[in-house]
Formats: sequence, C-alpha cells, structure tokens
Amino acid sequence: MPQSLFEKVWEAHVVEELPGGNALVFVDRIVAHEITTPPGALEIERNFGDRLFDPNRIMAICDHVAPAKDTETAIQGKILRDWAKRHRIAMYDIGQNGICHVVAPERGYVEPGMTLACGDSHTCTLGAFGAFALGIGTTAQAGAMLAGCLILQRPKTLRIELEGRLAHGATAKDLALYVISQIGFKGGTNHVIEYAGSTIDSLSMDERMTLCNMAIETGATTGMCAPDETTYSYLRGRENQPSGAEFERKVSRWRSFAADSGAGYERQIRFDVSELRPMVTWGTNPGESVPLDGVVPADASAASLEYMGLEPGTPLRSLELDQAFIGSCTNSRLSDLRAAADVLRGHAVTVPTIVTPGSQAVKRAAEREGLHDVFQDAGALWTHSTCGPCLGMSMGVLAPGMRCISSTNRNFPGRMGAGGRVHLASPAVVAASAVLGRIAGPEEVTIVTTGAFAS
Amino acid sequence: MIIDGYVLAVDRADVDTDQIIPAHLLTGIETSGYGRHLFRGMPGGLELLENAHPKANVLVTRENFGCGSSREHAAWSIRDRGFRAVIAPSFARIFHENAYTNGLAPIVVTAAQVESLLRAERIEIDLAEETILLGDGTRVTFSLDPLRKQFLLEGGYMEFMAKRVDDVRTWLAARA
Repeated sequence: MPQSLFEKVWEAHVVEELPGGNALVFVDRIVAHEITTPPGALEIERNFGDRLFDPNRIMAICDHVAPAKDTETAIQGKILRDWAKRHRIAMYDIGQNGICHVVAPERGYVEPGMTLACGDSHTCTLGAFGAFALGIGTTAQAGAMLAGCLILQRPKTLRIELEGRLAHGATAKDLALYVISQIGFKGGTNHVIEYAGSTIDSLSMDERMTLCNMAIETGATTGMCAPDETTYSYLRGRENQPSGAEFERKVSRWRSFAADSGAGYERQIRFDVSELRPMVTWGTNPGESVPLDGVVPADASAASLEYMGLEPGTPLRSLELDQAFIGSCTNSRLSDLRAAADVLRGHAVTVPTIVTPGSQAVKRAAEREGLHDVFQDAGALWTHSTCGPCLGMSMGVLAPGMRCISSTNRNFPGRMGAGGRVHLASPAVVAASAVLGRIAGPEEVTIVTTGAFAS
Repeated sequence: MIIDGYVLAVDRADVDTDQIIPAHLLTGIETSGYGRHLFRGMPGGLELLENAHPKANVLVTRENFGCGSSREHAAWSIRDRGFRAVIAPSFARIFHENAYTNGLAPIVVTAAQVESLLRAERIEIDLAEETILLGDGTRVTFSLDPLRKQFLLEGGYMEFMAKRVDDVRTWLAARA
C-alpha cells in the first residue's frame, strides 16, 4: 500500500492505538521554551517525582522574552534554567540562544522521519526537514516530558503541489502567504500538509522552513517537505549529528521518508507559482493578502477594515507606515537578513525599523558579512536574537493605530500590541517599505552605485 | 455531569488566542490566575464581559475558535473566569486539545444550532449524555472524544500518561 510521507512517520511512532481514533504517539524530540514549559515542569516536579522520560531528548531555550524584561519573565527563565540544569538538559541560554525554531535545526536537533513537539504553534517550521513537528499545549508537553508520548487524533492529509520556479521577486514568504490566501486561514485545520513539486525541490532549507512555518496559519497540524540532498547537505556536519559513515547511514535511512507514488491523500491541490509576485496582507488574519500591486478587496469584512483603518480599493502601496520589523521564526535566518540588506544597502530607513536575527549564531554570521553595518548605516536598530516584536510580548510593541510592516507570521488584532496594525510581507518588501515609509517593493528603491560612478 | 448553563454569546468567528489572552500576559508559571486577562486582546472584549450575566459559564461562539498560538493560557483564562464549556461549530486543533485537559468542554454543534444557542440565555448541558437542552425544550446532541471525555470529567491526563511509561520504554527498546 503506497504511503504518504506523513503516514510513514506517523506509523513509525504509534506506540498504542487508543479509543476514539486516538493514538499514543512517541515523541523523539521536545523543544522547551521559557513561556510554556515552566507550568508543566512544575507539575511533574510536584506530582510525579520530578521524573522525565528522557532528558536527552529535550532541548531547552529562552527565546520569547530573552533576556528577561521584568521579575515575572525572569522567574520563567530561572525555572526553565534550574530544571534544565537539574536534569542535565541541553540549555541554550542568553548569549547562545535565539528563537527555538531557528536554533533547533541550526544545532542539528531535527532530522527526517522524526517526531518533534514544542509548546509553540510555529513548531511546524521544522516539518521542512521531513519531520512530523507540531505545536502542543503545556499539558501535552508535560505528558510528553513524563511519558515520551502525545495523545493525538490522526490528522488528515493535504498534498499541496507547487510547480514552477519562484521569480519576479517572489520569495518563500510570498509562497506561504499565497497558499494561505488560496486555502484559507482555517482551510488546513486538522490536516497535515505535505508540500511537494518542483518549487519545493528548488527551495533551500531556509526557504522550506519559511513555508512550513506558516502551515499553522492555515490551521494545519503541521507542514512537511520530503527530505532530499538539500536537507542532507544542511544537516551534514551539524552539531548533534554524527559524522562520516555514521551520518551517511542515517542518510540512507532518511531516503525512505518520501511519499510513495500513488499514496492517498484526503485532499490534493496543485498551484503553478511561476508567475507569483510579492504578497502583502491587508487584513487581520494571514489569509487576507493580495499581491503588492493590489488593492484592499471590495469584499473585505467590515471588522477587518475597521481594525486596519482601511477602505476597499485602497492600493497597498499607498499605505504609510509607523514601524518596520524584520525577524521572527518565519524570516530571521541568514538568507532573510541578506535579502533585507541587499535592499537597504546605501539607503536610509524613514520609519523606526527593528532587525532581529533568529539566533545568536545567525547574528554572528551576519556580522561576519557586515550586514549589521548595512542595517545600522541605514538607521535601523540591530538587536540581539529573540522573538521580539512579533508577538508584542517584550520589545517593539505597537501603540494603538500604529501601522507596521513585518516579516512575521500573524496579523491578528493585537498581535504586536493592542490596536496595532500589522502587514505581513517578505524581508525584502519590509526593507523597501522601511526606506520609503510606505508599503513598497524592492524595485522602487533606486540602486545606489558606488565607486567610479558615485558622485 | 450537568452544567446549569448561563450563556455568554461571543457572536464572531475566528476568535484567536491573541484575542483570548495577549502574549504580554503569559508571564505566569502556574496554570491558574489568568481569568482576569480573558478577552483582553479582543476588540470590545471587556465590554462583552461587563455585560455578561454574572453567572455566565458557557461561551457560545462561531467557527474556528482558539486559532493561532498553542498557549494553554487561553483555556486557563476561560476556565478561570468560571466557564465550563465552549460551544462552537469548530475549534482550532491545539485549543481543542487544551480545553479537554482543563475541565473546559469543547462542544461542537452545527452552525445552525449555534444560531439558536447564541440567542439562548439559559441552557442545560449534560456532558455524560452529550446533550444540550434549550429553554424552549429543543434538545441538541453532540459528541465528545471518548478518551478525552474521561480527562474532561475526571481529570487524570498526566496520571494516564504516567501509567504508560513502562509500556513506552518497552516499545522504544523494541524499536531500537
């Protein structure tokens, strides 16, 4: 019987079928961050003898508010840190940290065919490696820390075939926004999305992570891409991965994690994306996007229009901004920062612009290339790595009515601060918009020549 | 288990977790104490709660409730405010799972049934029998996940998991 990628990973991890279509599913890796882990860790400490199934399967990290901003968040970090120390859990603390979904792959903690869970909805990012990686609640995470397993209803499958090479300035972010606009921001609920097709084959791991990161924005349980040479090259030589023949043996095993031809899916959709253009959201959910050249739709909901302070028919490019943000688990890896820097080089931002690398390792790599100079020469703020403005939890919070263009993943009301208005876009579009002070494409930012032609 | 239900109608679809409880309020280390933050991120949310019946204990809302973040604080804040059930045509997956482990019944009914429930003031929910009785005598049936129903009514999710540790270790040893 031909199987989908998801089915192969699922079946390799079902420990026990449970009543009502539930299954006890083994979790190979748990990523634990400081906001959602402490209540579960305390529950286990108080009521279950502080026992963990296997501390070696856990990595812990401070990312959401890191460093702490006040006593409460300091306590969250301290509980995570003390717990990790007590159990000898690998801990990525201030200085070696970053956003968990950026650091986990960077440090080789995710690999094809694995199951991975974290108390964070954007865990689906890691499905880019052909893992079944999903966000869960604190209690479910605590159960997995205690017993190594989750209780899950088996999700349905949705295969999305993407054909054609990205051109015309379109990026993986635009692909993600386009897919959500087509299937809807709840259209993937209770499904696992398998992304396939020639477009996926041509994407780097950074790009696949951007795409899978936003699978949750369709309501999907997660998104997955089958592993290939791009995946193996990314993992080869990483920390926490073996080297030499042992690594190649793993690769041989990973090759089996591909969808069989003729595998069945509950739903299948195909998109030709060779004509895709940069996309920008205008509304209050990630499905409400149009091409950058577009206008606010005539059939826009009154609630979205009111919250966003918009009228139908308004060109996106005419919208003036109060802030720009480049960062988050969607778009803060080195390739994202390079794309933003390519636009900003030689220009100045005209609205407050925050650039937050996805990890301290990304930050250092960017600085070795001089990207921090490009951002700071342009007048942007170059920060340490954290989740930051994306979720309005620590720095860069929007005031009511402020309009921000952001390389992040959610534009729900209040996401980046009460009353704040968020437009999601790619790092290049955010950078161009930061220069022009309104929503804009990179092609609008005039190329500055240096050297002989500079006046 | 019977809920003598006083309805709070949240007549909107897609209430996401940022509206239920914004991220800047997720700074606790316990699973309780979040009731005062309920709907702090929802446009009009505070007025909605101010105008609610003082005994309001059942939320009735439209589709895709709880979409967005995995934060269990969303379920905690609703429960801590005294709610025992949320009735909607559909839920986001993670919220749906979180509700079950926190004594908050996630009850799925049809969109048409939600229309009448949004107008109801008092309802009676029998969780064991999986029925809702409206004031006019109308009876609506629903089904709960049979395994999670046990956690909902009696708690014990972590105890259930703890009992499986040895089996899981055996399974893992066989896999390796």
